[in-house]
Amino acid sequence: MRSQLRTTLIAYAFLLPALVLMGVYTFWPMAFGTYLGFARYNVITPPQWVGLDNFRELAGETDFWTGLSNSLRYVLVVPIIQLAAIGAAVLVNRRLPGIALFRAAYYVPVVTSFAVVGIMWGWMYDQYGPVNWVLRGLGLLDRPVNFLNRPAVALYAVMFVTLWKGFGYYMVLYLAGLQSIDRTYEEAALIDGAGRWTVFWRITLPLLRPVILLCSLLSTISAIKVFEEIFVMTGGGPAGSTYTAMYYIYSKAFQDFRYGEAAAASLVLAVVSLLFSLLNFRYVRGGQVA
Amino acid sequence: MRGDGPAAQGRAGAAAAAMGAARATTRASLVARGMRHAEALLVYVVLVAVAITTIYPFVWTVVTSFESTGAVFQFPPPLWPRQPTLRNYRTVVETVPLLRYLLNSVVITAGGVLGSLVVAALAGYPLAKLRFAGRNLVFGAIVATLILPNEAGLIVNYITTIKLGLLHTGAGQYAAVVLPSLASTVGIFLMRQAYLAVPDELLEAARVDGATELGIWWRIMVPLAAPSVAAFAILQFVAFWNSFLWPIIVLTDKSYYPLASGLLDLQGQFATNTRAIASGTVIAMVPILAVFVAGQRFFMRGLEGAVKQ
Repeated sequence: MRSQLRTTLIAYAFLLPALVLMGVYTFWPMAFGTYLGFARYNVITPPQWVGLDNFRELAGETDFWTGLSNSLRYVLVVPIIQLAAIGAAVLVNRRLPGIALFRAAYYVPVVTSFAVVGIMWGWMYDQYGPVNWVLRGLGLLDRPVNFLNRPAVALYAVMFVTLWKGFGYYMVLYLAGLQSIDRTYEEAALIDGAGRWTVFWRITLPLLRPVILLCSLLSTISAIKVFEEIFVMTGGGPAGSTYTAMYYIYSKAFQDFRYGEAAAASLVLAVVSLLFSLLNFRYVRGGQVA
Repeated sequence: MRGDGPAAQGRAGAAAAAMGAARATTRASLVARGMRHAEALLVYVVLVAVAITTIYPFVWTVVTSFESTGAVFQFPPPLWPRQPTLRNYRTVVETVPLLRYLLNSVVITAGGVLGSLVVAALAGYPLAKLRFAGRNLVFGAIVATLILPNEAGLIVNYITTIKLGLLHTGAGQYAAVVLPSLASTVGIFLMRQAYLAVPDELLEAARVDGATELGIWWRIMVPLAAPSVAAFAILQFVAFWNSFLWPIIVLTDKSYYPLASGLLDLQGQFATNTRAIASGTVIAMVPILAVFVAGQRFFMRGLEGAVKQ
């Protein structure tokens, strides 16, 4: 008995730093953040319970709705980035000379800060910049466009940067998934006369399903919370066309110091991302092949 | 000899058939090999096209940072500076405290990586190898942080940082940046996973020999988990080196900015001097790319390890 108590004490001694830090910076924010959503707070005086007032105010704010709808539109990047990542993983999974170089090249944007990436793409998208040069050379554009200054395209231009920076990350995860698949399934199907495309579609992809679920969950959650690339590239503009929910939360909290309203918006966004996670679970689980 | 006729014929026929078959196989395999070559070529074309897309913005930035004169945007965009110069680097280092930012980044990254390694390496041990009251509860709570959305984290952590008095205290500002990301759930999982692979007999033997739990952890568990430690260290290096949003929110004194945050500030100040900003951008990305090139294998493995729980 005494040694059992001793073990428990030792165990918690090992866990102490992690539990204290998580308590302060993870669990407390979840609890206090939820409470703040129903309170008025300015840091100096104690928070004051105001019920649903913050949410009512949110509902009346155009900025909030603009942000929320842009955040939802941003989810469009999820299927595209996942397809790109799966495609890249299949390509770099081959044993070809120099393949490690390509893997590295696709991963370089992943390890680069959004501060750097955002600034670089500002130049790429400039109306005299390389993207215009390429698109005009291909005959896809007849006059120069500053992509980040056009309300109609700015959000999609930022989305492309998210795709560009992020697909290498998911590619590595899919690569791990592909390499953990037992080769015998695919080989057996090939011997039975199945084409390579059929094998990919009927065997590889279904076996990859757990990784697809994980990756699409991760990318949905970060799409709904998109902020850093917007902060660096457009600042929510032009004309609010890239203003997302997280941008709203940021400016409410850190520019207007209206913590209660910002927390309320955070709660709404948390519920939305939870809903999308559940949807993801159903959708990706749904088509399960027996 | 009569008897030989059919047999010989048969033999000849078989040989001919075999030769024909062989020829057919060769042709089929030639076609197959040709198709394989064509396919490999196609794969390379796609691979190269994507690689150009991912690498080109970096090339453009580096070239621009070394350009001395002329318009910033040229057609076609240059692949090499016409008259390479270090002038832009001098301009940016002289006007912006980039070296100070670099030092801040080093302090923040070193503290963050070391701290989060220690926290995760400690926490993973009891979760993998000790039986204690509340283990499932603790583990469940840690897992929950992965699933529960915490969008309000930014706001509350900011308030907490103010209340802890970390905002105006010199070195406290480094702590303000590092502390919220020190306890990494992914890190705890990675370490726990690595410890689970260590056989219990090894620990029992050490206990019989009178080793303390801390001694077992430090002398047996941590060394045996070295590959996971390295992988997690690199993942954390990237995370801490690249962070800029939280530092901008929490640091009132810009002289504590890490490079990435300083870079954004630079962009605001120098909106028109593209070449100076490009030089600052190169300075900010060289260290992380160097670490990436050196630790590429661990990066990929670390990421894979983080998924396979």
